[in-house]
Amino acid sequence: MPLDTRTGTASDPDHDELRRLEAGLDSLQAVPEPPRGAFRRTLDGVVPPILLLITLVAAWQAYIVIAKPRPDLIPGPFDVFGALVSAWSSERLQLAVLTSLERGGLGFLIAVAIGTPIGLLLAECRPVRRALGPLLSGLQVLPSVAWVPAAIIWFGLTDATVYFVVLMGAVPSIANGLVSGVDQIPPQLRRVGTVLGASRVQMATLVVLPAALPGYFSGLKQGWAFAWRSLMAAEIIAMGGTMGFGLGSMLQQSRELADLSGVLATILVILFVGILVELVVFAPIERRLLRRRGLMAAGLR
Amino acid sequence: MTNVSVATAPTTAGVGPAAITIDALGKRYGTGPLVLDDINLSIEAGQFVCLLGASGCGKSTLLNIIAGLEKPTEGSVTVASGKAAVMFQDAALFPWLTAGRNVELALKLGGVPRKERSGAALELLDLVNLADAADKRPHELSGGMRQRVALARSLAQDRKVLLMDEPFAALDAITRDLLHEELERVWRQTGRTIVFVTHNVREAARLGQRILLMSSRPGRIVNEWTITDTGSRRIESPEVARLGDEITDQLREEIRRNAA
Repeated sequence: MPLDTRTGTASDPDHDELRRLEAGLDSLQAVPEPPRGAFRRTLDGVVPPILLLITLVAAWQAYIVIAKPRPDLIPGPFDVFGALVSAWSSERLQLAVLTSLERGGLGFLIAVAIGTPIGLLLAECRPVRRALGPLLSGLQVLPSVAWVPAAIIWFGLTDATVYFVVLMGAVPSIANGLVSGVDQIPPQLRRVGTVLGASRVQMATLVVLPAALPGYFSGLKQGWAFAWRSLMAAEIIAMGGTMGFGLGSMLQQSRELADLSGVLATILVILFVGILVELVVFAPIERRLLRRRGLMAAGLR
Repeated sequence: MTNVSVATAPTTAGVGPAAITIDALGKRYGTGPLVLDDINLSIEAGQFVCLLGASGCGKSTLLNIIAGLEKPTEGSVTVASGKAAVMFQDAALFPWLTAGRNVELALKLGGVPRKERSGAALELLDLVNLADAADKRPHELSGGMRQRVALARSLAQDRKVLLMDEPFAALDAITRDLLHEELERVWRQTGRTIVFVTHNVREAARLGQRILLMSSRPGRIVNEWTITDTGSRRIESPEVARLGDEITDQLREEIRRNAA
């Protein structure tokens, strides 16, 4: 490449003048990002929800103390905590959390592997989109629990039933997320790709996919939520056989024993796992993704 | 002092070899009205040509056809050096890449080996006085800086012809003035052939060696001015003002014709 442009500019006084002018204007117009420590950010994110949690538990306990409801109908926070401790010491809790997380995680990964190519095909191929688009949107609305009876008849009480239901829940969300991510790419970016001489493959890998990443990522997030919900539903309905013991099974078992404290404890664990995955896995990636592109609102930095 | 000579009659090709040749070009979208009608043009290599006209006169369409982004309905366009580099009004940098990486991507797509890319990208950014901003992301840059990165990116393509579609229209006057100087310097230094589309008469008079005025509906080239002076001129200078006045009068006449 003939990039011999640097020579001859260094000694030009007019150019130096222009350089200084531009440097001055650049520093006037640049937008400095307020620096904020990671510790402070974590503190700001963690303190408000914990305060709320403490308030809720205190209100709950106050209600128990003041109204004295029947403990088998409305257990207090200590009963629920006791149920958690006993599930922990009998190692049922650890087993259930691990089984469910493993199924949810694996099911989610399979859903990503299936949903991504479908989404790409849908986004880039018009006839496929016309044919498959409405079906996929419909599947996204259809509660995936509806597949449980069919899955039990097809696969029996095996893990295949659980994975099938998880996939039916997560794949449409992931594919649709990618499609809307691709749809939201500013047309100008593709034009630049064309002008720069990108081939079809280069256009897809270097322009379309990275540009669609924010939309794709929110599809993944939704896909995980659907996978987790479908998994719980499937575990509650389908028990026994060769199926392992998940959180849904634990919930159902507590119900059969009319153990309301156990039921509430399990619900809290399911909720907590959902929040934890969001906080530990998705939120940091999303924050990084959005901040790098300057898409983050000032208040959320 | 500068010496602006005005040739009111459309002149034929200059003395040098033609970088862009346009022959009996016409364009219409579907069965709609003619957008461009019988455009014949020969642009000399190394020339700075400004394409001037009111909004909607088809000047951007003409540029897109030269760039190969749209197909002409009739006639032909030949760019002697093959494809052309293009710069748009919107910098259209890839937001997930730093300024340096944006330039490197253009080098990559242009087939520059990996090892040479980052050095070449830095050199190109230095050419537009942005070597220090190589690690910044587009959203951290001001509009003018983004447009300079876009300029560096289009220079990275190393194509002899650079097409610019109102690249400075969205910038404030101070920044635009500086970028005029910058662009002129880059043009003199790299010897590119530049076709610069604008609706700003003063901008055209400030930058162009040759100014083409387009009419609207259908778009035709109705007049052209050639500036024989080769030196640099400022946008405030009386020559630019005089030429600007003359072009403005004619532009208004063209616009008035559409009133009926």
